[in-house]
Amino acid sequence: MKLRLCHLYPELLNLYGDRGNILVLCRRAEWRGIAVEVTPVSLGDKLDPQGYDLIFLGGGPDQEQGVASADLLAKGPWLKEAVEAGVALLAICGGYQLLGEYYRTGSGETLPGAGLFAAYTEAGTRRLKGNIAIQVEELEVDRPVIGFENHGGRTFLQGARPLGRVIYGDGNNGSDGTEGARYKNAVGTYLHGPLLSKNPHLADYLLRLALQRRHGEVELPPLDDSLEFAVNEAVYRRFLPTKGKW
Amino acid sequence: MLRPFLAFWAGRLAAFICRLWQRGGTSLPGYLALKIDPDIMGRLASRYKQIILVTGTNGKTTTANLLASICRAAGLQVVHNSEGANMPAGVTTALLNRRGDIAVLEVDEGTLGLVTRQVRADGVIITNLLRDQLDRYHELEQLAAAISRALEAIPAAALILNADDSLVTSLGRGRDRVRYFGLARTPWSQEITSEVLEGHICPLCRRPLEFNYYHYSHLGDYSCPRCSYSRPAAEYEGRVLVLNADGARFDLIYPEGRLPLRTPMPGIYNVYNVLAAAGAALQLKIDPATIARVVAAFLPGQGRAENFSLRSKKLTLMLVKNPAGLSVALKTLTSGRGKATYLLAINDLAADGRDVSWLWDADLTPLLRAPYQRIICAGLRAGDMAICLKYQGVRERDLKVIPGQEESVDFLLEEPGAEGIILCTYTNLALYRRILKKRGAVSEVTPLPSLSGTP
Ligand SMILES: [Zn+2]
Repeated sequence: MKLRLCHLYPELLNLYGDRGNILVLCRRAEWRGIAVEVTPVSLGDKLDPQGYDLIFLGGGPDQEQGVASADLLAKGPWLKEAVEAGVALLAICGGYQLLGEYYRTGSGETLPGAGLFAAYTEAGTRRLKGNIAIQVEELEVDRPVIGFENHGGRTFLQGARPLGRVIYGDGNNGSDGTEGARYKNAVGTYLHGPLLSKNPHLADYLLRLALQRRHGEVELPPLDDSLEFAVNEAVYRRFLPTKGKW
Repeated sequence: MLRPFLAFWAGRLAAFICRLWQRGGTSLPGYLALKIDPDIMGRLASRYKQIILVTGTNGKTTTANLLASICRAAGLQVVHNSEGANMPAGVTTALLNRRGDIAVLEVDEGTLGLVTRQVRADGVIITNLLRDQLDRYHELEQLAAAISRALEAIPAAALILNADDSLVTSLGRGRDRVRYFGLARTPWSQEITSEVLEGHICPLCRRPLEFNYYHYSHLGDYSCPRCSYSRPAAEYEGRVLVLNADGARFDLIYPEGRLPLRTPMPGIYNVYNVLAAAGAALQLKIDPATIARVVAAFLPGQGRAENFSLRSKKLTLMLVKNPAGLSVALKTLTSGRGKATYLLAINDLAADGRDVSWLWDADLTPLLRAPYQRIICAGLRAGDMAICLKYQGVRERDLKVIPGQEESVDFLLEEPGAEGIILCTYTNLALYRRILKKRGAVSEVTPLPSLSGTP
């Protein structure tokens, strides 16, 4: 069995430890004897819709994101074809925004997105920034997914289902309690950086999604995640707002 | 006319009281003076013959301290915010001092505009624009744009810019008086980098830049494949660099000659600090022999790679505050060292940066390859550090997670082996210093070169 990962624009969209997610997926596959191949796909490269099991797209600074967004529009049809065929996808922060229908800037300009998620994003004034915890229904382990968010845009779902419900933090827009978006095996989220490192249950969920298209239901042998879950628990509790406090 | 007078004397009085209480490094006098007279910074600055500002994301404290030491050794009367109080209040506090020939002022890169609005600087040194607490200045390019606007207020100032940093060189466009410092290819230069990059978009045509090699982070030799933009020739260039655990030596090639330099400060980032300060000193027409003498003796103050002896152990304490800093610290401190215990103390308070995702952007390979006794992870984000190391290949039995700082030091002292390396984020630094002192550690920091200039 081999896991084929595609890392989109690794040299442009690489803020906040995003590449940690690739490392976590690779290690968790390798520890179970699954070989991994990571292919960087960048500006002007063709994206083979059938060539990968999971496509990863991170966030980047404004300039880099601008450069990537133009190219991503051209790759949009391939990305859609891949996701329609059941390929898994993880898009974080800026990458998540670029896969929505459009982004409306502060000056009212509308920048088209790849249109994978039925959602749009608007520029906000205050950045939504801080520790966040969400509840994701599909996971096999009943623990929150925790992370850090830092985004100026507010995303509103237009039919896409959310990845999860906000326990604390802002999520998509700070108002409707949703976080991220789902379409088939594609996941978009504002939980940036090495999200999968403290959420091994989410990492394994994505691994299963990635492998099932070519290998059917895959049984992943359990790993010793005591360190990961201990940190998940400690960080979750530390930022949990105390109820009834003035 | 009463207001400036009042402001000046209120500030001086506060400074006097602070000294009486032996509370160094405070910004309170400047804060008070600015409250009374918001324009006082400019008024005070006009009392100096020359004003040099030092800014950038990393290395500005070391660069400014070194330049001030060189100026003092050359017999100049120097005023300087040496405790790193680099916000407008700290700059004003420094200027409240006696008159002098030259003010060497470290200025926070985010508030440079507040200073240049009032202070007609003669020169500005910009060390680099590396990623540093992005949740505070969340985009480096926005920071570069803000610095560019701040420089527009002082069009006549001479700039000394880092040639190897494409974001910094973009600040020299359209200016008359610009000189560059940089580093020629070294044996450590790499054609690819495993550190995460920023600032690699052409400032003219917005295409990704191509790199012949990297020194560290995004510093290196770059050119745009589309337009003419490329690394400018450096008037102050370091060549034939030799790096080792005891420091570095290299030749500084400048328009009038060649100056061999030796610094006890380890790490390639300190080579840049020396290049910037020595370049500025040469521009100030200071005797090259004086520059070499001060550089050879200069060691930074507390916190930046400080050595201690405690019981039978030799301990090194060092501040790390961003991925580039952590990468370089590990590269430097592991080089040529035997089996040591490493302690990484990571906090996420406001001064550290709330988001610790940056740990995953650092190049930890020097540590992974080093002979380590054990790696202790401490601080509020001990667990994040441990997970990061686990996924990079450290066996869990070689890892120890001890969030409590006191307990982590006690554990370290019980480990076998003679050496301990403690890397701390900002808010852990003073804490670990205190913990070590409390247990009887003796600091081995060599003091700054004396004011009279004798090495
Ligand atoms: Zn160009």
